[in-house]
Amino acid sequence: MSTQHFDIAIIGAGQGGLPAAHLAARLGARVALIEMHQVGGT
Amino acid sequence: MHLVRDRAHQFGVRGIDPQALSFDLRAAVGRKDEIVGGIISGIKSGLAKTAAITYINGRAAFLSPREIRVGKQTITADKTIMAVGSRVAKAQIPGLEDAGYLTNNEALKLHQVPASMVIIGAGYVGVEFAQMYARFGTRVTLVSRSARVMRNEEPELREALGHLLVQEGINLLTDTAVTAAGQADGQRYVEVKPATGKVQRLEAEQILLAAGRTARIEDLGLEQAGVALQNGFIQANGQLQTTAPNIWSLGDANGGQMVTHRAIYDGVTSALNAVLDKGRTVDYRVVPRAVFTEPALASVGLTQAEAEARGASVSIGTYAFSGSGRGKAMGATEGLVKIVADDKTGEILGGHILGAHADMLIHELVVAMQQRATARDLGKTIHIHPTLNEIVQSAAKAVK
Repeated sequence: MSTQHFDIAIIGAGQGGLPAAHLAARLGARVALIEMHQVGGT
Repeated sequence: MHLVRDRAHQFGVRGIDPQALSFDLRAAVGRKDEIVGGIISGIKSGLAKTAAITYINGRAAFLSPREIRVGKQTITADKTIMAVGSRVAKAQIPGLEDAGYLTNNEALKLHQVPASMVIIGAGYVGVEFAQMYARFGTRVTLVSRSARVMRNEEPELREALGHLLVQEGINLLTDTAVTAAGQADGQRYVEVKPATGKVQRLEAEQILLAAGRTARIEDLGLEQAGVALQNGFIQANGQLQTTAPNIWSLGDANGGQMVTHRAIYDGVTSALNAVLDKGRTVDYRVVPRAVFTEPALASVGLTQAEAEARGASVSIGTYAFSGSGRGKAMGATEGLVKIVADDKTGEILGGHILGAHADMLIHELVVAMQQRATARDLGKTIHIHPTLNEIVQSAAKAVK
């Protein structure tokens, strides 16, 4: 068990989660992007 | 394949033997996989280059508003943006689960063209796959609960699209409910009941379920997070904030228009609000949509009925593709443009296109609406001749 801390967690790396993650990172946040299947969504 | 032969013949190309033509679905799917694979590897390399993003592969579940379990690890985050999307809603059709069915995902992975397919639902997924598989050579039955395909679109465009699908050989059953499904003697079947008529059994090698989508929220631990639902979707306010003050939600899972470009738009808004506390409110007044049939159907804003229901007095302008020289040259004479404008101010309230490249043509109406332009503004704007965009201009000029 390990615990990592992030400013922002984003659940889902589909077409909505990806721009949210990139913009959050550009705005200075440390981001965790969590995806259960494949990036890009369906 | 008939389409290839007919088109070639119309355009003066001779010597194409329809008997010699064949279609390799495996190759077409392989090409699609290559394109998608390229896009995914581009996304992955973009993520790999961004040090501030840690990618974690696994299923997320909230333990509390600030703790998320992913597989064996637990992470903590001050704020979370949920971008969980949607999936095909399970249908309450007896026997369907046992009979086995495809969703839009599996229907893009078949390697053999099925002899027959029954498609349940005549929204955008249903009509797109109906036309695609009919053109591959499958005997397609498209079952619609309502009187026409594509609920919520302009009636005349729905009617015209339905006719075009029937002309292509699709068995379109309107005002028809699916009552049961199953397998008998190794063959799938679907039982349907028209509003006026008896139950009939349709045999189908494949069944495609395209009757609605629902938020993908299973096992997310929303209760632990304090995220409430509304009608099965995540409850989010205009700033995309959920009932948990440190959690935002975007896209399909919030309900409303389930289209990728809305999710992209929401992605930006939610990041600005979560990271910078911008309090930015989403504005869905101008969200275009398209159905990628051929001809395509695309629209933006309000239909005439929606505008009238809101109390607007409207003026309508229409123009048919058959009136366009460019349309004739392209062999694209099917369809029309319909513009709904406010009778008093002339402001364009909605644009609706059935016709070749409707998905592209719609954008001049999108920009016009975004800028609150009037039909007159659009009508007096110089358009290149000869283009299909002149049809949009003519429809704008036709608004009285």
